[in-house]
Amino acid sequence: MKFAKLVLKNILRNKRRTLLTISSLVVSLFLIITLATILTEFERGSTESSPLRLISRHAVSLAFPMPMAHLQRIKTVPGVKEAMPFNWFGGIYKDEKNFFANFAVDATKLRDVLPELKMSDAEWQAFTSDRQGAIVGQKLVKLYGFTPGQRITLKSPIYNQEVEFIIRGVCTGGDEKTLFFHQDYLNELLPEWAKDRASTFSIRANTADDVPRISQAVDSIFANTDAPTKTESESEFAKSFETMLGGVKQFLYGIMAAITFSVLLVMGNTMAMTVRERTKEVGTLKAIGFQRGTITALFLAESLIVACIGAAIGIGGAALIFRSIDLSLYIPNFISFIPTTQTLVAAFVLSIAVGLISVIYSAFRVSSLTIAEALRSTE
Amino acid sequence: MALPLKYNLRNIIVRKGSTLATAFTIGLTVAVFLMVMALARGIDLTLSSSGEPLNLIVLREGSTAELNSNITRENFNDLQYLDGVEREADKPLATAELITLIYKARKGMNQGSNVTVRGIGPMSLKMRSGFQTIAGRMFNPGLTEAVVSKRIAERFQGFDIGDKFRIQTTDYTVVGLFDAGGKAFESEIWVDVNSLASTTNRPTFSSALLRVKDASTLATLAKRITDDPKLHLKALSERTFYEDQQGTASGALKGLAVFISFIMAVGAGFAGMNTMYAAVARRTKEIGTLRVLGFSRISVLIAFLLESVSIALIGAAIGILLALPLNFVSTGTSNWVTFSEIAFNFRVTPDLMLFALIFGAVIGFVGSLLPSIRASRFKIVDALRA
Repeated sequence: MKFAKLVLKNILRNKRRTLLTISSLVVSLFLIITLATILTEFERGSTESSPLRLISRHAVSLAFPMPMAHLQRIKTVPGVKEAMPFNWFGGIYKDEKNFFANFAVDATKLRDVLPELKMSDAEWQAFTSDRQGAIVGQKLVKLYGFTPGQRITLKSPIYNQEVEFIIRGVCTGGDEKTLFFHQDYLNELLPEWAKDRASTFSIRANTADDVPRISQAVDSIFANTDAPTKTESESEFAKSFETMLGGVKQFLYGIMAAITFSVLLVMGNTMAMTVRERTKEVGTLKAIGFQRGTITALFLAESLIVACIGAAIGIGGAALIFRSIDLSLYIPNFISFIPTTQTLVAAFVLSIAVGLISVIYSAFRVSSLTIAEALRSTE
Repeated sequence: MALPLKYNLRNIIVRKGSTLATAFTIGLTVAVFLMVMALARGIDLTLSSSGEPLNLIVLREGSTAELNSNITRENFNDLQYLDGVEREADKPLATAELITLIYKARKGMNQGSNVTVRGIGPMSLKMRSGFQTIAGRMFNPGLTEAVVSKRIAERFQGFDIGDKFRIQTTDYTVVGLFDAGGKAFESEIWVDVNSLASTTNRPTFSSALLRVKDASTLATLAKRITDDPKLHLKALSERTFYEDQQGTASGALKGLAVFISFIMAVGAGFAGMNTMYAAVARRTKEIGTLRVLGFSRISVLIAFLLESVSIALIGAAIGILLALPLNFVSTGTSNWVTFSEIAFNFRVTPDLMLFALIFGAVIGFVGSLLPSIRASRFKIVDALRA
């Protein structure tokens, strides 16, 4: 502790260099945290899904709808508490740029199957009792200024059909960029060929133990029909979307590794310059009795403090920026864009490691010089 | 008078460690930029090469992709005998095709992705260049046989010759593998259109393809089909159809490339500034000497800028070398327009490499501007006394 002042003086000796090094560290940490947050969002579906829920889709592909008649048979499977159809409408609000998910559902079951959706009882009441009613996620309100009572029209290219809804409630929880409306209402409007279909069925099991059994039971019921099903836990279903991305995830990890390596180079180079320039001083310190270990420790402390300041600004800055600007509003399927605590802690550990590794070689080298060698240095 | 280039070169070599570290920082920035852009470029090149210039694709009005389009048999009969459609031996060069998707597991994984299955007619092959069976044989029309693109067979389970896969309730046998000269069809499975129609119980086609006589007919025929109030169809050149998918398929990647490489460049710029400030400080006396010898402030400024830009160019070259092995490496992701896998190669093209070099040089220039100005502003006496 008695050398704190010396370390601090050294850090402040070349203020510009310290500032530049910290800035470089700050932007790199910001970038790493951003990419890690993107990865978190890619994986969120499979890590945060409900253990009680299963999704049943057409075995061939999600792009194929299934007959609504499946629903009654799914409900008879032991262990199934509730089941509800999801019908992807693909409706576009005014312009193709305004992409958000909209599903026709069984309004009376929505709350039972998706308990994470939160809305006042009055709004639930208003939604379920109005066939034309729709509920919108909180983020759609932020994006498009929807208000309860407002009439909006969505046009679906799948059915070449325009449908008008009246917004009856605003909900939070889940993907808040989703609009739900009544399957019954949609069914009335659709042409004969498109009636009574569902994209997926959401199934809520009584207990988590029932989930694997339900999955097998449902699939075996429909195995030899025109519309065989693939029923899996919600987390497996989410994973199938992740794998659709192919190598993008590994690619992002690779980029993060490249950034980390480049931070290491930047810090390592700065610390090497700093240490080299002070070779003569090290000779003096040694001459007045400083031990080799103490000198190394002084350099390590200096580098660690710089790394910690960079980490504080970079990590704190990223956390603040992403809390005030919600990027998830603009990225489809992203539920939030707030770095997790794990990400922030990992970024901090990374900074400390970079601080240590970048100086260790130079510090050891210079502190093992003899007094004469160090004093003779021409740096 | 300008300082000889040798002066810069010597200085770069003397501080090998520092030079290399700075160059590598810039190199990594350039490499990351190139790699992400190579991914986007691979998708773009696949899509832009896919359409034939004289082919017209017809979809249901309002459809964004073949998957959500349908064309009736009557529609197709009307279309193929329209004026302007090219003929071969009295038969119109026109085909109606059917698209479906199947979900298959990727190799080595439990989960996978959607693969497009295209039902093709007798004229389809004549209207698409580049198709070639490279193993096995072509399917027999009328049988439940399929040819699979080699890329798809490499990326997904169960597509070797002799394997069976299921569409709805029917099993298809893989009888051949094909490639298609890097086009989007290399992400597809091809089967007979009539067989697929009965398998999927679909009375309609997904799209129709017409070969027109010449480029001017293309526009007039497209307009005529699109404007016909009875048809409710839209026609556009096949080339445009595929090029229009680029924005959705690769736009996000390009955005990511710009975002990541800009921030990395800022970081690398700061690092470069540090190195150059240190170089200027270390050589203060030397700069004084140069000035005494008669070199002007501008020569000193240029010398330091050149030195930094050279380091940056070395860095950019390292970056290009790091990214280059990715060129032509096969990969795949989902095309959200077709909701299915698009397989393609990373493409590190010459224009991307040139851009990478310029990008690196700019980082070096911007990063060294302030230190170089500082060097040129030293008073001779002060510099010599340092």
